[in-house]
Amino acid sequence: MATRVLIADDSEFMRNLLREILDGEFEIVGEAENGVEAVNMYDEHGPDIVMMDIVMPIRDGIEATAEITESDPSATVIMCTSVGQEEKMKAAIKAGAEGYITKPFQKPNVLDAIGSAV
Amino acid sequence: MRVDVRALGACNRLAEYGAQRAADALAELTGTDLAVEVTGASLATGEDLAEAFAGRESVGVSIGLRGGLSGEAVLAFDAAQVDGLLSLLPGGASMGRSAVTEVGNIALGGFLDGWANYLGRAIDMSPPRYLEADGAAVLPDGALTGDGVFLFESRLDATAADLDFAIYMLPDSGPFRDLVVGRTPAAATHGGDSGSTAVPYESLSTFASLAKRGSANAADNIGMMTGLETTVEVSRLRFVPLTDVPTEVGVEPHAGTVFELQGKPSGYLAILFSEQGAANVAAAMLPMEPAEPLGEMAQNALCELGNVMTSGFIDGWANVLGTSISHSPPEFVHDMGSATVSPLVAKLSRRQDYGFVIDAAIQTEGVQARCDVYALPDERELAAALEELSHA
Repeated sequence: MATRVLIADDSEFMRNLLREILDGEFEIVGEAENGVEAVNMYDEHGPDIVMMDIVMPIRDGIEATAEITESDPSATVIMCTSVGQEEKMKAAIKAGAEGYITKPFQKPNVLDAIGSAV
Repeated sequence: MRVDVRALGACNRLAEYGAQRAADALAELTGTDLAVEVTGASLATGEDLAEAFAGRESVGVSIGLRGGLSGEAVLAFDAAQVDGLLSLLPGGASMGRSAVTEVGNIALGGFLDGWANYLGRAIDMSPPRYLEADGAAVLPDGALTGDGVFLFESRLDATAADLDFAIYMLPDSGPFRDLVVGRTPAAATHGGDSGSTAVPYESLSTFASLAKRGSANAADNIGMMTGLETTVEVSRLRFVPLTDVPTEVGVEPHAGTVFELQGKPSGYLAILFSEQGAANVAAAMLPMEPAEPLGEMAQNALCELGNVMTSGFIDGWANVLGTSISHSPPEFVHDMGSATVSPLVAKLSRRQDYGFVIDAAIQTEGVQARCDVYALPDERELAAALEELSHA
């Protein structure tokens, strides 16, 4: 059974890119455009992995990660973001993220991050 | 508020580092190499910026900043280059605005990482906002309304494709003020001995106005000596790494005159035309067509023009600063643009890494003869003169 992935990114371009990278090897259970949708979709689909952007409208990715990992401590969230600030990385890890990749990325970066996290 | 020019140098290094990160990110996204051409901080009024950006149509992405640095950052490029950019992105042609927005988001994220890491504080970015704008409307909010703002600007050029990006960041005065006055531990460490180079912001703003007036004087002098109608297209006071100046002038052949300034402040001044522009101006000054476009007669004419322009430029400084500034006899230069200014930069670089560059673009009507004036004052002497100005 394929690993189930939820993509959370406000950029349609980036969601498409991630979908292209993951398609075939993973099952994409949903695509969220903001942190609130990400939390709701996580509750609905219970994915194995969440690829989470940080800068998103309504609720950012760090807040959404904290909410997801608080309700499900076994959740696996990988931050997938343009933000490479050390303080933000620390905040993401503190919120419960398992990994962190910065955009732009290539397919091997994404697969390595998923491989390390699961 | 006092501005420490060394701390401003530290800020500029961050902007340079950020621009390189952004260039790397863009290169990876588009598959084409990008070079950071120039990064500098300019102190400009809204009016100056509106003039400088007139006629440009830009597409860009804007991001609001909070936390370690507050303000706004914009990645912009020529509207005519959108299709070229989209063709380089995977699936970009069908994604249009979303692809452009994400490119801006990624590049600006890279640009800001260095600032955040340096400050030891996170910078919160708002979701990116796509924008299409005419003229200076592409600049961050507030750039056009203040009496004078610090605007960080980096230009990134693709080496193999017709793509040029610019990053503009307009920091709000709050946290940024601590940076430029050298009040943060990081700025203090990088800024070194900050006491001797701190100047009142108001004096710096006055100096920017002087630079503008000097440019207008120089343009009038060209007009008087050649009979050509002249206008000052751009006049800005920027703070840039000295090593960037030759790159900025470029490799195209230039001709003009260079001067050493003596007094307070000392420094250097270069008046440069394109090769053809110099020939056109010289021809306009001479009673008959010279035998050679840039032969001895033309050189003499350009040297005389340089003399008058330089006086027009520095007299205003000396009068307002209450100092005496003289200049050396003109030295005619005719070479690749970068080679004409490299010796000046090399001399000034013994004393400082960064410099206030006053660049003025003067355009003549009817005859193609754009002229760029680069004034490179000694930073310590300028700081001392501005300090005295604040007590006057």
